[in-house]
Parts: sequence; C-alpha cells; structure tokens
Amino acid sequence: MEPIFTPALHKQRHQFVIDFVKRNRPRKVVDLGCGECSLLKKLKFHREVEVLVGVDIDGAKLKKCMHGLAPIPTDYLQPTYDQLHIELYQGSVTQNDPRLRGFHLVTSIELIEHLTLPDVERFSEVVFGYMIPAEVIISTPNSEYNPLLPGLRGFRHSDHKFEWTRAEFQSWAVKVSSEYGYEVEFTGVGEAPPGQQERVGYCSQIAVFHRLRGRDGCNILFADDAEDLLSYTLLYTVNYPSLHDNNILRRVLVSEVIYWTEKLKRRWREVRTEERDESIVWCQTAAEGDECFRSSECGAEINRLMEHCGRYMAENQEEEVFGTKGQGKQESCRLQRCVSIPLAVLWTSCPKVSALSGNLSNLRHLLTTDPEVKLSQDGSSLLVDLQEQDLEEEGDHDLEDSGYTEVSQCSYSAAQEEDWEPNV
Amino acid sequence: MTGRARARSRGRARGQETIAPGASQAREPTPAPVPPTEGELVGRGRQKGTPGPFSAEAVLQISAGFQQVKLGDRGGRRRDFHDAGINTRQAMEHVKDSKTGSSGDVVPLTANFFRILSRPQWVLYQYHVDYKPQMESRRLRSALLFHHEETLGSARSFDGALLFLPHRLQGKETVLHSETKHGEKVQITITLTNELPPSSPVCIQFYNIIFRRILRILNMQQIGRNYYNPNDPLNIPQHRLTIWPGYTTTILQYESAIMLSTDVSHKVLRSETVLDFMINLRQQCGGQRFPDACSKELIGLIVLTKYNNKTYRIDEIAWDHTPKNTFKKGDSDISFKNYYKSQYNLNISDDNQPLLVSHVKRMGPAGAPPPGPAMLIPELCYLTGLTDKMRADFKIMKDLDHHTKLLPDQREDRLTRFVSNIQRNADAQAELDKWGLNFDKMLLKLSGRILPRERIAQGSRSYEYSQAQADWSKEMRGLPLISSPPLNNWYMFYTSRNSNEAQMLLQNINKVSAPLGIRTQRPVMIEYEDYQESLLRLLQQNVGPETQMLKHLMIVGIDCYHDISAGKRSIGALVASLNNSMSRWYSKCVLQHKGQEIMDGLKMALTGALKDYLKFNNCLPSRIIVYRDGVGDGQLHSVVNYEVSQILESIKSMGHDYVPKLSVVVVKKRISTRFFAHFNGKATNPPPGTVVDTEVTRPEWYDFYIVSQAVRQGSVSPTHYNVVYDTSGLKPDHMQRLTYKLCHMYYNWQGIIRVPAPCQYAHKMAFLVGQSIHKEPHSKLEDLLYYL
Repeated sequence: MEPIFTPALHKQRHQFVIDFVKRNRPRKVVDLGCGECSLLKKLKFHREVEVLVGVDIDGAKLKKCMHGLAPIPTDYLQPTYDQLHIELYQGSVTQNDPRLRGFHLVTSIELIEHLTLPDVERFSEVVFGYMIPAEVIISTPNSEYNPLLPGLRGFRHSDHKFEWTRAEFQSWAVKVSSEYGYEVEFTGVGEAPPGQQERVGYCSQIAVFHRLRGRDGCNILFADDAEDLLSYTLLYTVNYPSLHDNNILRRVLVSEVIYWTEKLKRRWREVRTEERDESIVWCQTAAEGDECFRSSECGAEINRLMEHCGRYMAENQEEEVFGTKGQGKQESCRLQRCVSIPLAVLWTSCPKVSALSGNLSNLRHLLTTDPEVKLSQDGSSLLVDLQEQDLEEEGDHDLEDSGYTEVSQCSYSAAQEEDWEPNV
Repeated sequence: MTGRARARSRGRARGQETIAPGASQAREPTPAPVPPTEGELVGRGRQKGTPGPFSAEAVLQISAGFQQVKLGDRGGRRRDFHDAGINTRQAMEHVKDSKTGSSGDVVPLTANFFRILSRPQWVLYQYHVDYKPQMESRRLRSALLFHHEETLGSARSFDGALLFLPHRLQGKETVLHSETKHGEKVQITITLTNELPPSSPVCIQFYNIIFRRILRILNMQQIGRNYYNPNDPLNIPQHRLTIWPGYTTTILQYESAIMLSTDVSHKVLRSETVLDFMINLRQQCGGQRFPDACSKELIGLIVLTKYNNKTYRIDEIAWDHTPKNTFKKGDSDISFKNYYKSQYNLNISDDNQPLLVSHVKRMGPAGAPPPGPAMLIPELCYLTGLTDKMRADFKIMKDLDHHTKLLPDQREDRLTRFVSNIQRNADAQAELDKWGLNFDKMLLKLSGRILPRERIAQGSRSYEYSQAQADWSKEMRGLPLISSPPLNNWYMFYTSRNSNEAQMLLQNINKVSAPLGIRTQRPVMIEYEDYQESLLRLLQQNVGPETQMLKHLMIVGIDCYHDISAGKRSIGALVASLNNSMSRWYSKCVLQHKGQEIMDGLKMALTGALKDYLKFNNCLPSRIIVYRDGVGDGQLHSVVNYEVSQILESIKSMGHDYVPKLSVVVVKKRISTRFFAHFNGKATNPPPGTVVDTEVTRPEWYDFYIVSQAVRQGSVSPTHYNVVYDTSGLKPDHMQRLTYKLCHMYYNWQGIIRVPAPCQYAHKMAFLVGQSIHKEPHSKLEDLLYYL
C-alpha cells in the first residue's frame, strides 16, 4: 500500500497541472492518456482553456466517462463569453493525428511507463516532433521512491513496462529537449519523509518542457496537414454554451431587453393609474413625464432608466376607427397604443444590455432579426405594445365558484333505482 | 448477519426506503417491514418474498424482486418511485380474475405508452462475481473484471457483485485471472445464477437504466428524475424564467405488456442566481421584513449549482454564515470562498451573503455516517420551479400556461416525435441494438368506457347535464335546493370604497336566493376602513345527486398538506360523510411533526367520525370507503402496510362485533398518464366519465383511471384510483361508478371535479389550516363545511 499522501497523490498530480494552467493560461490543452477523464473534468472549470482534448487508447472507458464532461444545466442559464470545446479521441499516442497539432499544452500524466521503450521513442517523436506544443508536462513514477512504499514488490502497477530513476528520466528528457528544441525543468509531487527528500526525491517525478522558439508561437504552419491520415477516432465532442455563439447572444440579449422594457411598462402603467386617480391627464406633453417618474420610489437603477425614458417616450395614441371604409379590416374600433423606447436610451441605461451588445449598431442589428421584439421603421427605437392584455382575463374556472349567468330549466324524473348491494 | 447487513457488506445498496406519508423523510413504520431478503442464488427469479400484511406467501415475481435486487445505476440508495413490489390485488378475492367494469359506451383511445419490442427469446443472464482474495473497492472490482472484455463483450452491467450480460458465457462457471496495480493476483469467479425473462423486475429496472443512457446520448440534461433539452429553451424574459422542454419516462410492467410510459414535462428554471433573487426581494420589501420574506419564499425550493449536477433543497438559511466562514477539508480549514475558487475556479463577489442549508438525505458510503448538511452559496445557485408567490401571480401563470399547456394533438405529436428521434439517432439506436431492444413507434391503442351521465337531484327534481362541459350551473338555476337553512342573522362587511358594490351584491343575493329557496333577511351592514378584507361565504347551497343505492355508507376523504416553512410540518385532514345524502360532513385536522406518521392522529379522527355518525344516525355505518389522497410516489407501501391496519384498529375500537365493509382507495392526481380520444382524425381530450381499466393499469393492483373533469385548455389529466384494500364485495364496475358519482358531489362547484368530493374537502381543509390557521381548528366546527 502506498503511504497516504494528503491530498492523495493522483490529486496532487492533477493539482500540479491545474496550477500550471492557472499561471500560464494555455488556451488549447490536450491530455494524453486521459483515462476516466478526471483531469479533464477539473480543467473544464478553468475557463481560460478554450479547447480541451482527451486521448486514450481505451475507447470503452472514454465512452463510459464522456458524459461527465457535458455542460451542466446551470451552464445554459447564464452563459458567459468564455468558450469551451471538448473533444475525446480514441487513439494511440504513438501515432500522428493532425487534429492534435498546434496545442499550447500537452499533458501526459503517468502514461509513458505503460509504453515499451521503443514506443516511448515514438511517443517523443509524436509529441515533440509532430504535435509541437508550446509546453509539455510529463509525469512518471520515480523508482527511487519505491523502497518507501510499504509492501511493494516490483512495479507499482502490473502494466508498467519500466519505472525510471530520476537520472534515467532526466537523461531521456534532456535528450528529447535538445533534439526537438525544448528546454526542460524537473520537479515532482509527493514529498519523501523529512530528511530523505534529497536522497529519494518525489514519489511522482514531473518534467515540464518549454519550446524554445517563442512560447506563443503556435502559429507554425502545418503545411503537410492534408496528407496526414486521421488515425484517431473522434468519440465525443461538445460545445459549451457561450455568448460567442450568435444565437445564444441574441437570445440572452433579447431576454434582457424584454425584461427591462416589461419592467418599464409596468412601472409606467402604475404611475399612470396613480395619476388617473388624481384625475390628472398625464403625457399630454412628454416632458412632464420626467417629473412624475422621479417622484416614484423604486429601485435606483430603474429610476435612472425611467428618467431617461420619460424624456424620450412618446405615446402614440391613435384611435383608428374603421367604419364602412372597407380596406378589409373588420375591427370596428381599435385602440392601438405603443410606446417607443429609443435604443440609445436602453443601451446607455442598462449596463447588461450594453455589455452584451457592445455597441449601438450591433444592438440594432441583433434586435432587427428577432421576431420577439418590434423596432420602429428606422430601427432607432423599440416599440412596446401597451395593449392591456389582461382585459381578456378569463379566469381558470376549474373549481372556482361561478356566478350566475342565465336561468334555464330542464328537469327529469328521478333516476331509476339501482341496487348495488350484493345479496348478503 | 441480517439480510440487510449482508447486503451492505457486499457493497450493494438494498432495501426499499420507507417514506412516511406526509413526512418527507424516511422512517421505518411500525410494524417494521420484513427486512429485504437477499437475492438468493436460485433460478428463474423466484425469490423469497417480503410478505406484508396482505400478501400471501406466493408473491408475484414482479413484485418481490424489486426490493431485493437493485442494479447500481449511480451507486446511490434510491427510492423506488414506481411503488413496485406492492401486491395488493391478490388479497382481494373478488378482483382476482377481473377488475374491469362494464357500464358505459366503449370508446377507442390512445395513451402515452409505447410497447417494448425486444427480440424473441430475450433473456438477461445474471451472474454472481466472486473475488479471491476479497476486493473491497467497487471501482477496483469493476476495473479488474473489465480487463476481460473479450470474454464478456461490450454489453454488460456490473454493480460490484452482480453482473448482467445479454448472452450466455460458455460454462456455468467462468474463472478469470487479473492482477491489481500492486501486482496482486486475483482470481475472479463468475457463476451463472439466474436467467431473467424480459418481464422480471430486474430486467425492467434494466430497461430503465438503458433508457436513461439513451437520453444522455441525446444530450438531454437530467434534473431531478427527468431529462430535459437545454438547447431549445423557451424564455419568458419578463419574469426571468426559462423553460426547458423534456420528458418523464418510466418503463414498467403494465397489465399486458412492458411499456415505456412517457409524457411531456417542462422544467421551469430561473435565469438568475439565488443572490440576484435575494437582492431583488430586499429591494421590494425593505431590510426589516427581508429575512422573513426570504425564508418564506426560498425554503423548500430546489436549487441547481454552478459546479455540479446535483439538486439541493433549501431547508434553512444560515443568516449568521458568510462565504468567509470556514469548514474542515481533510486536516485543514478552508473558507467557502477559497474552496470554490481553488476547486472550481469560481469567484464569489459578495462576501456578506448568507448561506443556504440543505439537509442531504442521501446516506454516506456504505456503513459511513450520513454527511452533514450541505452549505450552499446563493451566488452559485440557481432556483428551479416556482415559488408560492409566483404560483399565485395570475400573470406569470398565464404566461407559463401559454408555453406549457399543450393541446392533446400537440402533446401526441411531441411524444411521437420523441420516440422517432431516438430511432433516428445512430448512437442511441446502437446502444439499444447492443441489448436487442426496440420500441414501438406508435402510441398504445386501447379502449375505455364512457360512464353514463349522472342525474343531478336538486330539491324535488332531477336533471341531466351536458357531458362535454361537465358542469350544471345552468341547469341548477331556479330550482329549490335540497336543504337550505334560512339566512336570518348575518353581517356584511365592506369598505367605504366598495359600498356601491356591497349594495349591488345584496340586491343580487336577494334576487337569486328566492328561486333557490333560501330565505334571507336583511343583513347588518358594517362599513369599515381597512384594507384587510374579510371574506364571508354567504350562499348555502346544497347540490348533489343522492347516492341512495348503498345504505349506511360512510365516505371518508383524507389528504395532507406540507407546510414547508413551519419546520416541515404536515397537516393531515380527514373528512367523513355523516348522512346518506352526503350533505353533512365531519372533519378533523391533525398537525404532525417531522417523522410522525400521519395516521397516528387520523386514527383518532376516524374514531371521532364514527362516533358522530352514530349520533346522527343512531347506528354505525355498515360500509366505509376511504379515499386517501396525498400519497407521494414511493409511499404506497406505507399506506398498505401501516395505514390500513390503523384504520382497521380504529374501527375495532367501536366494538368487537362491529365489522363494517371497508374499502381503501388511494387517489393520485399527479400522474403522467394521458389519454387521447380521436375526433375527425385529431387527438382530443377524452370526455368526462371516461374510465380505463385495462392495458395501462398494473397487474398487481386493483386500479383504474377516471377522467372526471373537463378542461378548457391543455390536455386533461386522468385521476388514478388504486383500491388497496377492499372487503366491500362491490364489483369493479360499481366501485368505478361510485367514485365517479362522488366526483359530482362537491358542494362548491356545480360540475364534476377531479377527485371524489371528500378528497377535495380534505384538501381544502388541510390547505386552509396549513396556509392560514396553523393549529388545530376548534372541535365545535367539526361538522361544518367552514373550510371551503
């Protein structure tokens, strides 16, 4: 049994990667030998990562675990600008696949010791010579630590093909670095008991490689892409909801706009009814509106918005009377009332709307194509229907007591007798 | 070692949780249920049963198996929401052969069920897997076993001890060898223990697990028990609501076949966090009233978190906690703020928010003590569902209905599309093919019966009503009532603002009361200056068909109401008829606290009702029919095992020679079964009076569905009646018709309602007490219908 590390050793290895990601903010990360995807599941919370890829030879294991990487319900509720795209491949790290080129970070946690030495050779070629990521993290057991693991005979896992000492690992890493143009540092997790660290080193040794030719140089051209075969099988792919998706952006924006306009409308109506009670006809001139909004006590934000809008709101009260004039319209008299809210006001007063749309013309552009909102003809303001919908309030009569409408009578003779009692 | 302990030691969660009715927490009722027995190594799924008071030794395979063998789907201990394993029908001789009625016209219907078509001779093979040496960790067991994919194949299910395969391994016993990480050699012995036919309970549970996998393949999100589609939300921005369309699905053995029952379901989600909600609320009601208002609105609601896929119920708000508080993680203390930052990279911006407390019911890993309450950060939680305040808001409900109320043809269309989507999705189909399963493409066709219209007796006359409307408000006008006490001494309270309206009301009352035979005197008019309204129900009506076919009958209705805000108190209400014309009712309400059985109090109430009946009629009823409402999913078994015996005891207390005929009927309104009638090729709601007692009922129950009410919008939802105890000897047909008749008897509505009148009375009373009174009503009110 391994001595109990706190936190557990595998967690420490993952934490090492996560800390690295937090410091270096790579945007595209691939985990080779991702197994049960536990590292990916942690990395998905670090939204500086935009592309997250996992590769493992065991497709069945991936299939079993892949749904754990799906977005959770709350990811859909308030999407942010962060993007995340996750892909899982079944494939061998000894084979090239063009889809894995151009990553910022490649991690390979406790993987290489499962490969035969010739395969390790091929692995180095694939990772450093073909994928050419900016940074690589490789961890492997440190065999010098093994005597401290009680009850351990042979390797730590039956599938291990080798377990290296620090010197063996470092000589491999240095050789690879000089061959492919990387520099390497060594560290590890799982410290030895006090006083022995120097002698045995970390339980898991880790090498961190940096590509020498500029670390932000993921813009190397991979000219030969077309010739490469796609040797990996794509098992799973998912896009996290993000405001970069125009449909989602529009949906969120329109929701926000409607929320604010509805709030305005309600408030405006309240003010109107108050005024009506005092038998003052409001809105003869739009300028008057300014004052009555200010006097109302409601949230500071909406107050500010109302102030703005009061100045601009113009009530188009048109009474259209269609008599016998024809034109195919049958409504005899329709009261159509609209309030127009200039987009500029909306944009300046609702911080969320402005943050979402970026600029005014973008806001206009996003709103024009949406069927849920109505813009004025020149597209400069939002038309809000003031039609009182609750005029047609028809209560749900289910189980409600009803009043009396009309009286009609029909009576029948009493129901015929039926005897249900079984003969006793 | 007891069966339960043994089950635990084998790393499997067994046993059906017993849920006390009313109380939402698990508690074992007395008499204690027989501990679930092990899935013995016997053939053909015949295991020893768990006989309750009413089940004979020969337990149906379907029922028994569920309690014993549970496949580890997510490893947790889960409640059996399907109430399987409760076999009540066999104890009732008169319905053993047939539980179908006969009256009424046969009508062709479809229901929201799809048949499962598995390939012929489909058998699931159950293996027992043994490790030598013993392996403790379930994960390790799986890993070791799955090294042998070439032997086992890709279609397999393993819960740590039981392995299920759709094919047979070569020998009866297969020995495999694996090696652990540490090089330890392990011998795995796989022994065939069972061949499960498609209808066995394990297989059925199995279908459900596979089906859930399918839904996940379709990229649906699980929230609670159902799956929803997040990619096509319906937004109601004015209320900051988002609705996800989804489906409820259950696969069960129904009367004649195994079927998938699926219904359209909508999940209401809030596109704001709990913190946003709190800030809004504070703005609305001010700092002083805020804590109270906040508790009232939030407690009992279900939240989703930003960092995992779990749902939590808010049980408390910890006002004295903030995200800066610390908790123990491993050996060290860490603040909530730092924990969420380091673990999930989530920033908490408001350091002064209180925390939400959720008492996690789920047990810890086998043997370990249950974890303490979960502390949640409002900023990281989203609300789901509606608050009571929102439910009461007409506008919100209207906007919601607009999106969620589906006409029968829309609903039918969505369901058919759902099943065809599964069939079109290659991955989903591959998963089904792997196991050799398939679903019917068409909704289940079945036939129901429309019960004849009832005659309404009012005063000296009786009349019929329009069946489609299920209402006789027109017909009742101008006829004198059966009995109408004069309104001699009464008050009318009104505000000065409404004095005109008050006068109008008075005039109208005078106008209508004369033809109805109510004598009214002029009231004492009191004008008051107050916004508080005191509502007086004035008109004493008395409408109802007389059910004279059964003499000396007492109908009892029981319902309960869960008062979440007042420390999870539940209120049980019992209403019992006192005369033959069902116009006098005895009522009693009991408050019960956490963990208390609802029948403890209602037993006394029933005794009280019987005594009152004796006083009124000078005799005890010779028949008692109890309609029990408010039984949640998975609670049936405590009604059957516990409540029925309580009722019997209470009857016995009236005298040893008193043996009335008793029927106990469990009434369920919130079900996902839907029926569609077809009219001119279009799906419509079945007319009121439609009874279904075949195909979609359960073979082990004496149950039926009645559509009693008419709805104006959306699809009608039938009511499910499950007769769990019956010594009345009434034919099923009579039981159905009596139930339907009772749906006509509600005092306050001149139409047919969803449930028998006593259930509705009990509901109203429990609601009133739970919402407003909060204590037991005075005993003087016991025989008045004051609670309507």
